[in-house]
Amino acid sequence: MNIISICALAIVSCVLSLAIKRHNSELSVLVSIGAAVVVLMCVIQYILDSMDFITSLLAKADVSSENVVILFKVVGICFLTEFTCDTVKESGLHALSGNIALAGKIVVLITALPMFTEILTLVTNLVAGE
Amino acid sequence: MDIDMIFKIAAIGIIVAILNQLLVRSGREEQALLTTIAGLIVALMMIITQISDLFKTIKNTFGL
Repeated sequence: MNIISICALAIVSCVLSLAIKRHNSELSVLVSIGAAVVVLMCVIQYILDSMDFITSLLAKADVSSENVVILFKVVGICFLTEFTCDTVKESGLHALSGNIALAGKIVVLITALPMFTEILTLVTNLVAGE
Repeated sequence: MDIDMIFKIAAIGIIVAILNQLLVRSGREEQALLTTIAGLIVALMMIITQISDLFKTIKNTFGL
């Protein structure tokens, strides 16, 4: 699906959402969430394609596969959190949206902790080597 | 592609809004409320499967 169709879909659902907002605000939120899901489902196939390329690139750069897995996990968490955060913010719940963003940051930190430990071990070895 | 789903939800919204107005005008506020809730649940059930699909795809793509 090309970008023109995605933009057209977004504009149509925006108008539909506004049209039913005055009479039925809950369903207007559902229309916008549906549009967001459809758009993301359209582009996620491209992410899958580009991931193979990035994996091969990182393999050539001699990055260990554990770190690549962590990298992709962090990207996935960011993707999911961003989607949820924006959707919740759009329906007016700013506090909940901020909490989701915070939760995403914490989960990213926990996921990337093995990499920090690796760096720490490296630094400790360097200092001990002197 | 599931673009039809967006139109379906918008149509449910319009129909529910009209029914709601009609029932409120004829003095049946309780049935109007029930119609609104029924429409919301139907649309929610449609959208939940899509959200579940998206989350599953993200889970499989990024290996979460």
